[in-house]
Amino acid sequence: MGLARYTLRRILQAIPVLLGIATITFFLTNAIPGDPIKIMLGPSPSAQQIATIRAQYGLDQPVYIRYLKYLWAVVHGDLGTSIHFTGTPVLTKILQRLPVTLLLLVSSFTFALVTAIPMGVVSAKRRNKPVDHVSRLVALIGVSTPDFWIGLMLIILFGYYLGWLPPTDLVMPWADPATLEHATTRLDVIVTSIQHLILPTITLGTLQMAAVTRIERSSMLEVLSEEYVKLARAYGVKETTILRKHAFRNAQLPVITIVGLQLTAALGGAVLTETVFSISGMGRLIITAINSQDYPLVMGTTLFFGLTFVVGVILTDLSYAYIDPRVSYGEEEP
Amino acid sequence: MAHSDASVDDGTTPESRSTTGGVNERVEARVGLSYTLSQLRRDPTAMAGLVVIVVMTVVAILTFVDAKLLHYYFATHYWVNPENDPSTVKTLMPPVGLTNIFGEGSWAHPLGTDYRGRDILVRLVYGTRIAIQVGFISTAIGLVGGTTVGSVAGYYGGWVDDALMRAVETLYAIPFLVLVIAFMAAFGRDLTYAMVGVGITTIPSFARLIRSRVVSVREEDYIEAARAAGVRDRNIILRHVIPNSFAPVLVQATLQIGVAILVVAGLSFLGFGVQPPTPSWGQMLASARGYLLPDAWYSVWPGLAILLTVVGFNLLGDGLRDALDPRINN
Repeated sequence: MGLARYTLRRILQAIPVLLGIATITFFLTNAIPGDPIKIMLGPSPSAQQIATIRAQYGLDQPVYIRYLKYLWAVVHGDLGTSIHFTGTPVLTKILQRLPVTLLLLVSSFTFALVTAIPMGVVSAKRRNKPVDHVSRLVALIGVSTPDFWIGLMLIILFGYYLGWLPPTDLVMPWADPATLEHATTRLDVIVTSIQHLILPTITLGTLQMAAVTRIERSSMLEVLSEEYVKLARAYGVKETTILRKHAFRNAQLPVITIVGLQLTAALGGAVLTETVFSISGMGRLIITAINSQDYPLVMGTTLFFGLTFVVGVILTDLSYAYIDPRVSYGEEEP
Repeated sequence: MAHSDASVDDGTTPESRSTTGGVNERVEARVGLSYTLSQLRRDPTAMAGLVVIVVMTVVAILTFVDAKLLHYYFATHYWVNPENDPSTVKTLMPPVGLTNIFGEGSWAHPLGTDYRGRDILVRLVYGTRIAIQVGFISTAIGLVGGTTVGSVAGYYGGWVDDALMRAVETLYAIPFLVLVIAFMAAFGRDLTYAMVGVGITTIPSFARLIRSRVVSVREEDYIEAARAAGVRDRNIILRHVIPNSFAPVLVQATLQIGVAILVVAGLSFLGFGVQPPTPSWGQMLASARGYLLPDAWYSVWPGLAILLTVVGFNLLGDGLRDALDPRINN
């Protein structure tokens, strides 16, 4: 099966999953106690007001009708209107916030991969040497530390104590220079953006960094003990060449799997990181939505979190092909 | 330990591989277990992890006994204040006013006091109970649920497998923290729902893991023999399939306890999960967030407590994995 057909098949397979996500979130959200209308209209709304608003948001209909209507609307790209941000379409709100979270995710995964892959490789190469012990210790602490706590510690140290980096908020690199205090050119904005991004990136990326380091190390160790590596050594191939040409690429399959699986942890971590650094992204949006019992917004954000994950997993699956030509697309997914 | 030569590059993670049982699976299981334990005993880091877990669990049990059965007898007599005021006992707060806000470390309060004058060390100690409880109970829920779903799916195959695994994958596709938050918003913001919610979100990983093992165990001769002898499916699954698929699940469960502690700490930090004034590490960090400038140390201790506990479970889990998978040691 060709790559194009495989891609198409993976996308089609994602449809029932997305339908499932929409179903789970719809029924969970419907189980949320309390009446969003009352929150919206204040303490003593008239019965007339309530009825009008209920009808406006379709809350006066039975659950299964609302469910089917919701699905129908979602298929047409309509996620409803937010109750908390009165009148704003949920999709608009999400699309405002999504880039922030995506930027955070991309930068933290970049940080994780750039640090973890060399660390894992060196660790495997120098097994049981001091550098291996240090890297294993760093990875162990990384997978065991609450990410939001790392954020708090970084804020105290670099934000308050040393005063090197801004402790809150995030500036997008494409923001208008006029909206920022000390920025006149695009370069200023980008520099400010990077400064803002450093602490949240480390906060969110540490867990990924640690997880990837661990799997990179064990995967490299496994590959380095393969017969063909021994053979290459016996032929007198230089160790660096073995590492680069023979071992590294073959060791990356499990690493990709872990990166894909880490995405779900990272999306959850984004909620915490955005809270710690007061960043207005999807993570804080969902918290706002739940705290204000904004049904459409809760459903929309959850659906988008699921969508982001599904897209990430498809990209992960597709990247197997790039790394390992032996992967066959005809069989069960790897 | 012999293992098959057919080590195809199937992209599985190390935890999903290990040797399968043979015909005399009971004998082998026993040999395997004692072998595993002896391997584990020789692993100092795994033992260190075990010590951390045992100490934390003992502390958790003692604080549980004190809180639930003795109504904070020890807390009131030895830590909070002898002239106990029942209204302040549960919050582990000194009853005499707010005289000691952000107190520095001293003999009476080794780690100082928080923004309400409460002893930080006492609250940390009592927070152990929540962490350990959450770790074990939510993992148990995920373990039982995941093992059931995974073994049924793997054993029967066909449409049962398809339906169950698609459902599980859907659950997996919603980032677990988001799912638990939505779950708790729907059912209630307290510890029980946090544990159930986290438990449910871990079902997919257990189900996938055990299914991948069951699919290969299912084809073994002894299962075939049991089926031919007329043993009922349920008994085959419970007596043969699950025990022979369990090793990697045990590793996963140990590691998962650490993850559960992290997730519930995160939930409490966000205001879901454990509600104040019950002392929990995540909730202590949430309140510390408001006082990063006046008292930086307040936010250090609960994080260190979480780190230490989770390191314990990770060290033991890694040790178990190495002991169960002889190939890593070779």
